[in-house]
Amino acid sequence: MEIIVFYLFAAIAVIAALGVVGLRNPVYAALCLAVVFVSFAGLYVLLSAPFIAVAQVMIYAGAILILFVFVIMLLSPPVDQGEGALKWQKPLALGFVGALAVQLVLVLALAVLPSARGSLTPEVIAQRGDVQVVGAALFSDYLLPFEMTSLLLLVAIVGVIVLAKKR
Amino acid sequence: MPDATTLYLILPEITLAVFGMVILAVDLIWRERSRAALAWLTVLGFVIALATALLGWGWNMALFAQMYVVDTFAIFFKLLAAIAGILVTLVSLDYLRDRTPYRGEFLALFTFAVLAMMMMASSASLLMIYLSIEFLSYMSYLLTGFLREDKKSNEAAIKYFLYGAITSALMLYGLSLLYGISGSLNFADITATFAARNDVPTRIVALVSTALVIAGLGFKISLVPFHQWAPDTYEGAPTPVTAFLSVGPKAVGFAVLLRVLLTALPAFKNEWIALLTVISVLTMTLGNLVALRQKNVKRLLAYSSIAQAGYILIGLVSVNLNGASPFSGLNGVLIYLFAYLFTNLGAFTCVIAIENATGAVEIDDYKGLVKRAPFIAALFVIFFLSLAGIPPTAGFIGKFFVFGAALREGFLVLAAIGVINSVISVFYYFSVVRAAFFEAGKDTAPIRLAPPITFSLVVSAALVLVMAVYPEPFFNLAAWSMGMFGVAK
Amino acid sequence: MIPLPFYLVIAAALFCVGLYGALARRNAIAILIGIELMLNAVNLNLVAFWRYIKPASPTMDLAGQVFALFVVTLAAAEAAIGLALVIAIYRSRDTVNVEDVDLMKW
Repeated sequence: MEIIVFYLFAAIAVIAALGVVGLRNPVYAALCLAVVFVSFAGLYVLLSAPFIAVAQVMIYAGAILILFVFVIMLLSPPVDQGEGALKWQKPLALGFVGALAVQLVLVLALAVLPSARGSLTPEVIAQRGDVQVVGAALFSDYLLPFEMTSLLLLVAIVGVIVLAKKR
Repeated sequence: MPDATTLYLILPEITLAVFGMVILAVDLIWRERSRAALAWLTVLGFVIALATALLGWGWNMALFAQMYVVDTFAIFFKLLAAIAGILVTLVSLDYLRDRTPYRGEFLALFTFAVLAMMMMASSASLLMIYLSIEFLSYMSYLLTGFLREDKKSNEAAIKYFLYGAITSALMLYGLSLLYGISGSLNFADITATFAARNDVPTRIVALVSTALVIAGLGFKISLVPFHQWAPDTYEGAPTPVTAFLSVGPKAVGFAVLLRVLLTALPAFKNEWIALLTVISVLTMTLGNLVALRQKNVKRLLAYSSIAQAGYILIGLVSVNLNGASPFSGLNGVLIYLFAYLFTNLGAFTCVIAIENATGAVEIDDYKGLVKRAPFIAALFVIFFLSLAGIPPTAGFIGKFFVFGAALREGFLVLAAIGVINSVISVFYYFSVVRAAFFEAGKDTAPIRLAPPITFSLVVSAALVLVMAVYPEPFFNLAAWSMGMFGVAK
Repeated sequence: MIPLPFYLVIAAALFCVGLYGALARRNAIAILIGIELMLNAVNLNLVAFWRYIKPASPTMDLAGQVFALFVVTLAAAEAAIGLALVIAIYRSRDTVNVEDVDLMKW
């Protein structure tokens, strides 16, 4: 049962990802991206990480994607027109990515990664409540990166407004 | 939970965070009246950060669940960051006045960029490395594109951003593999994992992730082949930002690279040395050859700074911390970075002074400079001598230690290529000097210097000369800063 | 339980597709979308590793999940900055095509 759900989400994610890259109209690409985000959320649930799954849907699908769609609508950029001056760009990109893909698959097939679990089994996590565990970690062990990220978001907002606001 | 010692040791970071937000708030409340005062407030913040960074000297503490290390190596780079912050703020005063109404925001973003540099220097966890590098990158993108009405500034920023985002995603994938192999984000655990597991699959995964991490950091340092953004970004960015980008991210990029390679991946020393040797040769040679045909001074300095990264990499390749030789490679990198900071900032300050007065950045516009601004012309000579590595300047000391380490390690060919490249570089540096001294220009109006710019020019030039004439304190500074690596070995 | 390499291969595939999108497209927004795909793939890697591997120490119990959360947050900031730059460049030149942004030679 589990494996069927996995294949389902994985297949949807890969097909939608190909759509993201293959479709020329940016609005369609953005919509395919939404499908990728949601199917990834499904995979996170399978991995017993419901908090990440929810964050994925809320932040990626809810915030980032909406931002993309807004900007696409705002600028209504022309549909990407096939070949331009950079004819060598696509073959080059394909070659580079192909090499990387072969390498990664080899690595992952060869690597005998340890798969023993630590002290937090899914059962323990389910008992203590996933959000609670992650939240406690964020405010104790990961306090510094947490505060740093909040600063980063604040200044990023200021900078983005300076760049994008109307005269 | 953080205790008093922790807070004491991260005082410089706290200072800059507070000052950054105070600058934003003051700018919001007073708007017009406060503009000049804000710059001085920023400088004050950097001075306090500099002083508080020194308070941590001699400590060697891992804070926040081992994620954040305060040691003399980190403090060395925090000092560099604060000094770069002070000098760049001073030279940006006049430049920004006519170009953007958002000077308060500019200064705040800049303060946070320096904060991010400090955090990069102290990061000892995959998570902190990723966060601090991204922090610095985001601030750099925003500062590069800050002149929103200026087409070149826009273009510089989007190119910088797209390159940076792709390389940082590559690096992030590498970091995730390192986490997957070791089950930890901390460097100590990663080293222990690789010490315990030496099978072929583990090594392959580690090598792929090392290469990906070098790609991400190579972008910050502008190593070939991750350098393509640099010329356009340097040319198009506001010149004070260019000055900052050419020294700040580069210096802390080297700090992170050193820390990752020497404390997390020492098991793969032979492999990364081979990879970085090739990159070093490519970076020096390409940077210098392309610099020969540049006509725009900012672009010329961009290619020059690519080449300089190649020289510094020689020191990293020749790292050998065993024995008591004065050429450990690592001290060469630190001394070189220190010399390079003042030299390159000084050279860019000259460019900014001329750009403020005339708006010109082409080499042809520098003709007859010696008549219009003898002081700037003379300093240009000092900074270019230092960049080319000719005594008696700081650049010579840096090259001496870097090439010396290569010779000690038996990298004769590498050292020879470095020396040949230094000779090539003399030609293009000299082309600017020749235009300034020996060719007659159309314009003859004298160029006036603002006091803050004069101050930072004098400081940079003085340090470039002092480092060459009386280098001992700087040797000691570099030697102390290596303490951590001596223990970690 | 589904073996770990299944997840890793899916992540690697998505990463490569995203990288191809980022390298092969000329529309700045399309490049950004490709980068988002790459970041998502890394997140899947992180969460899968978190679920399957033995943490080196108790403080690393949640490392993968927390790392993934930070990546999501920074991806949002990155998208905002990238799109702001796109808007700025569109205002000044009426294009989002990287190829047309060529005032300076690449």
